[in-house]
Amino acid sequence: MGERRIATSKVAGTWAWFFQRLSGVLLVILLALHIYVDHYMDVGVELTVGEVHTRMKQLVFIVVDYSMLAMVLFHGLNGTRTVLFDFDMFIKRKKLVDVGLWVLGVATMIWGIFVLFPFING
Amino acid sequence: MVKISSFKWLFGRNSEFWPTNMKTGMWAWVGHRLTGLVLVVYVFLHLSFLSQASLSHASFDELMETMSQPLFVFLDFLLVCAVIYHAMNGFRVVLFDMGIGIRRQKLVFWIAMAVAAVIVLVAFYVLFNEGLFKGEWF
Repeated sequence: MGERRIATSKVAGTWAWFFQRLSGVLLVILLALHIYVDHYMDVGVELTVGEVHTRMKQLVFIVVDYSMLAMVLFHGLNGTRTVLFDFDMFIKRKKLVDVGLWVLGVATMIWGIFVLFPFING
Repeated sequence: MVKISSFKWLFGRNSEFWPTNMKTGMWAWVGHRLTGLVLVVYVFLHLSFLSQASLSHASFDELMETMSQPLFVFLDFLLVCAVIYHAMNGFRVVLFDMGIGIRRQKLVFWIAMAVAAVIVLVAFYVLFNEGLFKGEWF
């Protein structure tokens, strides 16, 4: 292992580990549905705002899409955090990494909420 | 200051990441991280493309027409491959965390890859069969 000293699992924390697994398994199911419903079921249909609106005006899709975004942001940024903590220079700046990723995640979630408005409103 | 020499554990000939030093489990791990990082970048790309609709419906419709060219459909297909690899290897990791199959990790990896290959082939077949790779590529 050369210069490595601290096990990444000791730095990242148990809750981060647990929610990474939970969100991962849920995302496999939701993403399979997302790709199937959005990209396979209506293959050949021209993709427009109006077309997406026929789906996105339904509450179930609004709820599923927003929860999927929250989970994907957690899973992706927490995964990035794990990768960063393989490097000493980021372990030394753990607080900064944590705050930075949380700010990025929350800001992206807010952005993502607004991004879907045109599709929901039609 | 970060020195190049402090990355020898990562890139050096004696490092465990040097290709000839890597075995199945290590390749699986490296692949999981690389696909993971690609997918994180894609989520941001996905949101920025969708945000075109906030500017005007027409510009979004136009963008989607461009994205339906075979080249971009093929890139979408590669993205789906990354998702499928990450998902199948992810299941393998979860199984290990539950104490299942870790002593047979190589076998579990190849089973996961066999399942992944089947899903990838079905995905490709659907895209090909619907004629999404036909027409101008560039």
